[in-house]
Amino acid sequence: MHSNSLLTVRGLTAGYSGLAVVFDADLIVEPGEMVGIVGPNGAGKSTLLGAIGGAVKATGGEVRFRDTNVLGMKPESIVRRGLALVPEGRHIFTDLTVAENLQLGLTARRDRSSRAQAMAAMADLFPVLKTHADHKAGHLSGGQQQQLAIARALVAEPDVIMLDEPSLGLAPTVVRDVFGVMAEIRARGTAIVVVEQRAHLVIGTATRTHVLREGRIRDTLTPAEENDEARLAHAYFGTELSTP
Amino acid sequence: MMQVIIDALSNGGLYGLAALGVGLVFGVMRLINFAHGELITCAAYLLVVCLPWGLLPAILISLAAGTVLALLLELGVFSRLRGADPAVLLIASFGVSVLLQRAYEAIFSAFPRSGQAAAWLSEVWDVGGSQISRGSVVTVVLTLALLGGMKLAIEHTPAGLQLRAASSDFKTAQLLGVRSSRVIAAAFAASGLLAAVVGFIVFTQRGQVDPQFGVNITILALVGTVIGGLGSLMGAAVGGMAVGATISVLSNALGNDRIYTYSVLFLLVIVVLLVKPSGIFGQATLKERV
Repeated sequence: MHSNSLLTVRGLTAGYSGLAVVFDADLIVEPGEMVGIVGPNGAGKSTLLGAIGGAVKATGGEVRFRDTNVLGMKPESIVRRGLALVPEGRHIFTDLTVAENLQLGLTARRDRSSRAQAMAAMADLFPVLKTHADHKAGHLSGGQQQQLAIARALVAEPDVIMLDEPSLGLAPTVVRDVFGVMAEIRARGTAIVVVEQRAHLVIGTATRTHVLREGRIRDTLTPAEENDEARLAHAYFGTELSTP
Repeated sequence: MMQVIIDALSNGGLYGLAALGVGLVFGVMRLINFAHGELITCAAYLLVVCLPWGLLPAILISLAAGTVLALLLELGVFSRLRGADPAVLLIASFGVSVLLQRAYEAIFSAFPRSGQAAAWLSEVWDVGGSQISRGSVVTVVLTLALLGGMKLAIEHTPAGLQLRAASSDFKTAQLLGVRSSRVIAAAFAASGLLAAVVGFIVFTQRGQVDPQFGVNITILALVGTVIGGLGSLMGAAVGGMAVGATISVLSNALGNDRIYTYSVLFLLVIVVLLVKPSGIFGQATLKERV
């Protein structure tokens, strides 16, 4: 394992009110990488992401981000260090305008001098947010809200952005747009950790994809192994399928 | 008639300030702070104690006292209960409320303390044949200016934006880097400051303060925040104003008999909540707090 990775998670155990949901998870993220986390419903994907971002209480292990163990820190301290989490369900402030939502994203910025440029860059990446800047965010469509949630995290220019099920509830064409945006984010040098229930969306494009089942990482696949259905199925369901 | 309108406005403004004070803390913590009344009482006691040094120093000390006591409650009690069940917070605030009332009793005795804050406030103006009390005119100006200022600060400053975000979804605000402890401390400080202003106004009306001084207005302010919709800051202020104005109009119409005024008031409250259970400006569902 690399010792100076951007993000290193070791032996992470986390859960809710004393009940562990994720056990002994290890993963690393290097600059500009995209790391996928897939697995069946209830595998603990969101819990793993939440524990890394400080939103879920971790009971053991280590989350080392740029040489600091951030485990146990408040979520606001972690995002201010450059490790952003976009939780499942988007959590847009529907009563605030689109512009106000984006402005809140600036809270976590480390570099205070170039706020205007960051906002302009978001308008570039998500033109629809610019046209709706003064509308209530609650009036946006699902896909637009997802874009806003991603943009809101990106204006802080994090080193790593963690996205929990960005495709949830979106039409297939919109999902393609969102994944297109993710490719662009990576091209700008921001690393991505993405949780997906639909494995095929991720494995082909991510640097590595970890398969989580019943709270443990069972396997790790690379894009070359995208079509290894038997291996994926085994990692996913834990049983040998009877298909040849 | 003129006096009825001005009374309604001034009482509405007063209860609006009290409700906004309660609503600020509720917004960020989902804490119904029963001890808000004791912030009002504390400020009023310090006002009466410091009056011999002049009105302005007394007001400043009283404002500072309300703010500092609110921050002390947050640091000493509520910050230690983060993540606790809302019921625990509620009971804790109730405990703090009773404790402070007994403390006031121990320090200042259960008998009311009287003082004359500003004699000219109790005089009347003669406007076109109708008599208008100066106190209520000053109250209208003061409360509307403060409410307007708070509205500007909440809607047009970065800190206000963070406060609104934290009030609507605390966990998401944290994920965006909003510092939870600072936002909560700011809400308590603002709440304490507003409580002190309320304490000043009520004191100029009553001319005396006792350990239960702030209890009644706080309960009615709580009703106002519920009417306005819990979680909406401006909703709380408007709800409080509605309750205050209604009380004023009702007591003018029904005479000063509290029984009738409050019966009709709470009847109206029940009707509003039956028609719109989440309050006039309330969101349908409230998200869970830290």
